[in-house]
Amino acid sequence: MKILVDNRPIECKEGELLIDVLINNGVEIPHFCYQQDLGMDGNCRMCMVEIKGQKRPQIACDTFVCENLEVATKSEKINEVKRSILELELLNHPVDCPICDQAGECKLQDYYMDYGLYESHLCTPKTKKGKHIDLGSNVILDQERCVLCMRCVRFTSNITKTGELGVIGRGDKARIAVAPNHKLQNPYAMNVVELCPVGALTSKDFRFAQRVWFLDSAKSICHGCSRGCNIFIDYNETKYTNEKVYRFRARRNKEINLSFLCDFGRLSYRELNESADCFVVPPRNDGYMGSVAIQNSDEMNHCERSTVIYSSNEMSHCEQSAVIYSSNEMSHCEQSAAIYNSDFVRNLLHIKKKVALASPSLSLEQLQAIQEFCQKYKVALFSLPYIDESFGDDWLKTNDRSANFAGVKELNISTCQEEFESSLKSAEVVINFDHNLLKSHMRGERMRGSALGVPENKNIIHFSTSKCEHGTVLAIANFAHESGTLINCDGLRQEFYATKYKSEAPSLIELLEVLK
Amino acid sequence: MQTKIVSKNFEIPHANILEVALKNGRYTSLEKLFTYQPQEVIDIIKTSNLRGKGGGGAPAGAKWQLASDFAGIKYLVVNADESEPGTFKDRQIISKDPHLLIEGIICTCYAIGANSSYIYVRGEYEEFSDILQAAIDEAYAKNILGDEAKYPVEITIHRGAGAYICGEKSALLESLEGNRGHPRLKPKSPEPEFYFGEPTLVNNVETIASVPFIIENGAEAYTAYGTDCSCGTLLFAISGHVQNAGVYEAEFGVGMWDYIQKLGGGVKNGKKLKAVIPGGASTPILPAHLVMEAKLDYENLKSLGSALGTGGMIVLDEDTSMVKALKNLLRFYHHESCGQCTPCREGTSWVDKTLDKFVNKTATLQDLEVLKSVSKSMNGQTICVFAPAASGVIDGFLEHFEAEFLECIV
Repeated sequence: MKILVDNRPIECKEGELLIDVLINNGVEIPHFCYQQDLGMDGNCRMCMVEIKGQKRPQIACDTFVCENLEVATKSEKINEVKRSILELELLNHPVDCPICDQAGECKLQDYYMDYGLYESHLCTPKTKKGKHIDLGSNVILDQERCVLCMRCVRFTSNITKTGELGVIGRGDKARIAVAPNHKLQNPYAMNVVELCPVGALTSKDFRFAQRVWFLDSAKSICHGCSRGCNIFIDYNETKYTNEKVYRFRARRNKEINLSFLCDFGRLSYRELNESADCFVVPPRNDGYMGSVAIQNSDEMNHCERSTVIYSSNEMSHCEQSAVIYSSNEMSHCEQSAAIYNSDFVRNLLHIKKKVALASPSLSLEQLQAIQEFCQKYKVALFSLPYIDESFGDDWLKTNDRSANFAGVKELNISTCQEEFESSLKSAEVVINFDHNLLKSHMRGERMRGSALGVPENKNIIHFSTSKCEHGTVLAIANFAHESGTLINCDGLRQEFYATKYKSEAPSLIELLEVLK
Repeated sequence: MQTKIVSKNFEIPHANILEVALKNGRYTSLEKLFTYQPQEVIDIIKTSNLRGKGGGGAPAGAKWQLASDFAGIKYLVVNADESEPGTFKDRQIISKDPHLLIEGIICTCYAIGANSSYIYVRGEYEEFSDILQAAIDEAYAKNILGDEAKYPVEITIHRGAGAYICGEKSALLESLEGNRGHPRLKPKSPEPEFYFGEPTLVNNVETIASVPFIIENGAEAYTAYGTDCSCGTLLFAISGHVQNAGVYEAEFGVGMWDYIQKLGGGVKNGKKLKAVIPGGASTPILPAHLVMEAKLDYENLKSLGSALGTGGMIVLDEDTSMVKALKNLLRFYHHESCGQCTPCREGTSWVDKTLDKFVNKTATLQDLEVLKSVSKSMNGQTICVFAPAASGVIDGFLEHFEAEFLECIV
């Protein structure tokens, strides 16, 4: 079936909502209250279109397409309608965009530039409402900036069914609020910030941290659990700072997370910033194995930025060892990632009894490289899932908190815990591919319910994205710097993409290539 | 000049008591009712040309048919949320002849196949609601209502919380379901209203109260009154600058000025007439010269650029300040806008605040432009007819009395 939009034929299905057809075909249609995963409400009146044969303009979010529908979205008449509605939306809105956190991703701003550009006619006082109201769950409300599109109200009443938010007052005194002595409190609460088309709901975690026009976005996948919610990683790098991730935003995927994320996943971006500078590992004073010590970067003259693992011999010897990702001279260390003595690692790899544990959150590509590496060095490879019975719910969150356990299974990597534990007992060298279980005793207890410590007399090599409490640590890039493939709990294979700045730490695959 | 059909028992003392009501002909229509099939009752209502008396004037029979035909548990909801300024007819029925309403409810429920009905009473009508509840209790006791009745009907009174918009039928149903009183989006094709998803008929108190007469005397007896298109009678209310404010039932089609003179007793204190708001605040004002030719029926008032509305006339004498009169009305719309859609939420407050400048005589020509342009923005772009009504009020005042507004401009 075809309809005519601004004299252009558009293919669509009978009974689809006109606004969906317009959005899906890239036709600009301003709207506040309509959201593809919340459905229509019809209150904002911004999506007015002219329909042939109808006397009055109609809202596109309450029009179903039918044969021979002719729609005008850009006629002079309809632009005047949009301008008049926008003027009313903006009437009592504070004009302080420069200090508003939403600036740059605000629909009011965008539409004013597209359809407004009028001189204000307001000669009466503006309506005053509440400012910086802490609703709970990291959400701050500014009632004066609100356009009462009700997206947040509909989210809490229809999606989470927790119903914390409502409208109180009538007419121009109507405002979003929580009931007295109540808080916005549910594991998905921060979605309302992202749903809010204007600056009324902002995140305590993100507000005033960065202007959005300085942010880049990468298409990625949340690694917080096995659901595989699609996200944007919003990040940047400035002249004086390393790349920093500022937030995760939901990336719409109809089959998985729609336009939503859980708060836990949304805030898990913080781990991506942690890992870059957390390799502060105490030096081994006992001179174990004689050749390796790990030293805090503070002690090195020019290494201001990264974790450095280096030979315990004189600094000058570094130049002689296989140095990867280092410039030749130590004075240039500011630029480098990690420096280590690959001979030491190679020596360890020739010890017979070895066991490796790979994180089930690594991508398929990484797991494949690990498999090849382990085959070459004859290392028994295992992977264990991160199970947390208290984490999952009946919506997005799953008890399996690994991002790619389905991938582990697909590659036939052993997941037998008993076998791993017995291998671990007899092993002299333990290789940990970023598995949280082995990074510390404490983490092990928390994740598994049983302590899985690595005895003191074993050599452990970590390929790690985050801090480890013992052993030799080889820094690798976290998933913000990686592209790869994950398989989620429902067997859906999804790709994620790296941010554009190079990580200080090498990627795991590159590193394994060098060690071969 | 008065024609008493609905108001027949209004002057009988204690007609709200069942015993008195029975002596005065209440519930006699039921006997005849049960000789008809439900569809026959609907057909009688269609033939009688009974129109909704809450202000819209839509044919009642067609609405009944929609509710009757739609599969599901049927409900009847009686709209007694009478909040339109200048309108006070329904409370007369509720307080003076509540058994007429109950009788009408039984007839209507029988016709559409409903066994449950709700009466949504305006929050402020506490006293009238109590009278109505007492009458319902008596009817239950005498098995006129309830399981033991010949046709079982349950009636529940629900009192509103004071929002004008809950008189809009879909907002009323939202409110009745326990939600915030916001009007619903209008359907694209004819369908009944829905209460918790079930087909529901919503009618005004007076519409339902007109039913027993039609059942008892036949459709022709009703169409004998009124004009060709506006059949029967209406409880016209008259207030403002008149000698005898009150509710007087009359046939459709009587002259407005005639009515004001004869039943309202003319303009108060012998002053001259300036204008009349014909049918509740939401109908555009008619200046005196149009009042003289106006007839009290839907078609005539429409042709004069106004509407019959609820038939509650507000009479304004020669000394009335039209600026202050409009301010009074706009303050009402500002206060009562539910705030759901943008043009109404922001528009009603803007025009109200702008009118302050006219009242204080500090307005500018730009303010007059604002009134006109906001009125235009409010018209035809909202979910319900609240904003268009406010817009019509502004346009009416500016059309006929713009000179008075220009005087307020500095």
